[in-house]
Amino acid sequence: MSLPATEASPPADASLSLQFDAADADLLARAFRTPGDGPRAWRLNGEAHRISLIDGFDRLLAWPSLRGVTRYPHQEKTCVRVLREMRGRAILADEVGLGKTIEAGLILKEYAIRGLVHRALILTPASLTGQWREEMEAKFDLPFAVLRSLRDWEERPFLIASIDKAKRPPHRAAAQGRPWDLVIVDEAHRLRNRLSVNWRFVAGVSKKYMLLLTATPVQNDMDELFNLVSLLKPGALQTYDRFLERYVGSSDRRVPAHVPELRDRLRDVMVRNRRGIAFTLPPRRVHSLPVRLSPAERRLYDDVTEFVRDAYWSASGRMSWAARLTLIVLQREIGSSTFAVAETLGRLSTSPLFGLEERERLEALQADARAIATNVKATHLVAFLRSLGEKALVFTQYLRTLRYLQGVLEADGHRVAAYHGGLAPAAKDAAVHAFRGDRDIFLSTEAGGEGRNLQFARTVVNYDLPWNPLRIEQRIGRVHRLGQDREVYVVNLWARDTVEAYLMELLDRKIHMFELVVGELDLILGTLDERRSFEDLMMEIWTLRQAEERRAALRQLGDALVRARAQYDRMQERNDEILRDVSDEVPA
Amino acid sequence: MSEADILRSFVLEALADLGATLSNDASLVWVTVPEAIRLDLEVPSTFALTFDPTRSGEFEAELVAPGSYFLEKLISLVTRRGRWDSIRCENPAADWVSIALVEAGLAPEAGVAAQVQETQETMFLLFSFRVTLVSDEKREAFHQIAVSPSTGAGWEVDPARAEPGGIPDDRVGPPPDLESAYRIATEVLRKSSRDVADRFRTASLRLLEEEVRRIFGYFDRTIEEIRGADPDGSQDLLLAVQGERDRRLTETLERFDPKATASLCAIRAILTPTARIRLGFPGGRSADVSIDAWSGRLNGLSCDACQGTEGPWRPGAGGEIRCATCDLTRAASVRPRGRPRSGTPPRGRRAGRGTARSPGGSKGRSRAASAPHRGP
Repeated sequence: MSLPATEASPPADASLSLQFDAADADLLARAFRTPGDGPRAWRLNGEAHRISLIDGFDRLLAWPSLRGVTRYPHQEKTCVRVLREMRGRAILADEVGLGKTIEAGLILKEYAIRGLVHRALILTPASLTGQWREEMEAKFDLPFAVLRSLRDWEERPFLIASIDKAKRPPHRAAAQGRPWDLVIVDEAHRLRNRLSVNWRFVAGVSKKYMLLLTATPVQNDMDELFNLVSLLKPGALQTYDRFLERYVGSSDRRVPAHVPELRDRLRDVMVRNRRGIAFTLPPRRVHSLPVRLSPAERRLYDDVTEFVRDAYWSASGRMSWAARLTLIVLQREIGSSTFAVAETLGRLSTSPLFGLEERERLEALQADARAIATNVKATHLVAFLRSLGEKALVFTQYLRTLRYLQGVLEADGHRVAAYHGGLAPAAKDAAVHAFRGDRDIFLSTEAGGEGRNLQFARTVVNYDLPWNPLRIEQRIGRVHRLGQDREVYVVNLWARDTVEAYLMELLDRKIHMFELVVGELDLILGTLDERRSFEDLMMEIWTLRQAEERRAALRQLGDALVRARAQYDRMQERNDEILRDVSDEVPA
Repeated sequence: MSEADILRSFVLEALADLGATLSNDASLVWVTVPEAIRLDLEVPSTFALTFDPTRSGEFEAELVAPGSYFLEKLISLVTRRGRWDSIRCENPAADWVSIALVEAGLAPEAGVAAQVQETQETMFLLFSFRVTLVSDEKREAFHQIAVSPSTGAGWEVDPARAEPGGIPDDRVGPPPDLESAYRIATEVLRKSSRDVADRFRTASLRLLEEEVRRIFGYFDRTIEEIRGADPDGSQDLLLAVQGERDRRLTETLERFDPKATASLCAIRAILTPTARIRLGFPGGRSADVSIDAWSGRLNGLSCDACQGTEGPWRPGAGGEIRCATCDLTRAASVRPRGRPRSGTPPRGRRAGRGTARSPGGSKGRSRAASAPHRGP
């Protein structure tokens, strides 16, 4: 039953009365009882007020205060549209790689500057909480905390929470207990089912503004689109029955009807920027440099692997989480360099995580590692860089490998700018500055230049391969991003018969990962396994004792990846079909 | 001056006023601040400032830009200072009275004779206010209201014009009628902000109305559809939908609820020479007025037509005095109204409706009244 709208609002003839601040009385009581601060201070007081005045959303204020964010017109237009026309409630459905996170951060920052957002909540998949926190801090100077304890709901006005954690008691009640000024939901396609706990949780959170971020609002059927829009603006697509009647063509709910009309309605709630001709990124060229390890390196690799497998499947079967993690690190380090693994082997040889016999093995392995003075991969790297003749980014996961490579490369006459997490901010700036100047190699660990503009280079060398493919993608994304106008070279160094060789088999040959746009891989891997990360899956396969078992498991994972990629491609097509013209223009 | 230049100039002057020493590098400014200020600004005693975001990482330089943490801290500090001030307006130009009379439209050429009766020092109070309008957006404005405690007059001053020179004078104690003057200032501010505030309110309520209609429409039709599909179905589902509707309505009402607030930023006391003048108008009429050297504003006249006290003035040949606005209206109303020559045929009239000049007929409602109801 509808109430007439007039009953819901105050009478139209009432005026908006100016309410004066109670603090005025304090000023009146104090004024002139002591000498003032002087006419300059009085004038500056007025100027400070005038400079900080807010006048709607006539212009964006945040850009100058952002760090390491390149200003792109499509992001600016999106921000203006969401603030002015959509009044802070929107689905940001840009295609992958166009910077939805930047758009959301920009909108949040504009609200924060204007004092319209004092409490903001970002809901993301658990794997992305850290990344969001880093981006909000580094680029937007917004002090977000990742949810750790129940108290955070009260004490942290800017909070990032995994949606899976937030939706469960006791967090659920705390999240829904107080209103938020802005709620951002990343990977919002996870809210496609209105009967799901996720959907009902977000619907139950009280908020003034809300941004839903997804590159694929439609994953399977049209219901998902309805559910997403209804969360944001119920009624924008009419009621569910009318939506089905009008916009779903047949009993097959995947097929839309009256698409132009549907797009018209979606324009009120959705922005979707697409990679147009002007935005097509230059192609990537992938070069694979497989390396045959020296006999000593091979022996060490096999011995470390054997130790890892033995320990992983230890007879006690009660391996602690910490010990398991240690083994993963060990296996990853030996894939990087003998220098990376040597110190860990030494440290573990005195660790109580392992028994006496294991510790003795570790000690021996450390001695073997220390006895190796040169790594074959480094020799190949030097040869490649000699032939390149231009600036290159060389990535490694480990500081000890970085130190080793720095020595090798400098000995070969390269001018190296080293960049790693241990550097002070000023030293990091200096490294980037030097690489922009006369240094030809930017040698970096995982922290390498996150958010830095390094598009003036175009060659990325993966000296080792992180097991988390998103990390590889982030490395490539340092140069293969908006602003890059030259073909990008990705060079992967890997040793045969190693975990890294498995990775190349899966990521390069099966899903052609190196051809994907940054961001797409996440969507593919997201459908792979809800419980276990890709790294976990790799470790599980690698630690299988029998080579035949390993091959079979690898084949299975490869097939699953191929299916996930195909599913992603289908999803892309469906979204393009329905949402093609939702935004008025293609970014230029 | 560009906005960036204004910001830069403000920041550097504010820091200097706070006792900081500054030295300019190519794109960085090195600042050394006193201990008390250092704590307020949350900076080391010596630090670098930059106005260029691309240099903000260098030497851990503090970025100054809208929304930057440092600027927020500085503005907060600066607005806690300089909240009251006294100046004495001395040595005005010799012919300040004549200039003010000309600006008020009361020059000898207009047939007005002026005779200064006496000049004495009087006090004005200048109140600075920040007015904020908030619903789901925010609009702010800075206003300065001058009040003459002796006459009870108050008027809005253009903040850009409110900086005529003056000599600091700390001998001024608390004005005895400060609170009354503040009340006058608040009334003037209320009046001058009314139109803007009401436009803001109307826009907010229009959005609210749209949202409320959509929410009711969606949830009520959803309830009908649920009932239609299963008339004997569970009441729990219907109650849940109603609950969701009410929650969304509350959220919407809070979001679009317009509010207008004003806060007093600073007060300035101004001691200024004020001349009491006898004006003689054509036709023998006379009036006693006053003009102060600080604002050059003439007090004491009122418009014969609208009783307004704001000039400039247009004295008539018969001695009547009108403000410029009423004078313009009168001029327009006596302009001959010839029928415009036009080849356009007269507009057709619908039976029973009004003439072309009165579309609704003599009993027709005003256009505003007949327009679709826009308020909620």
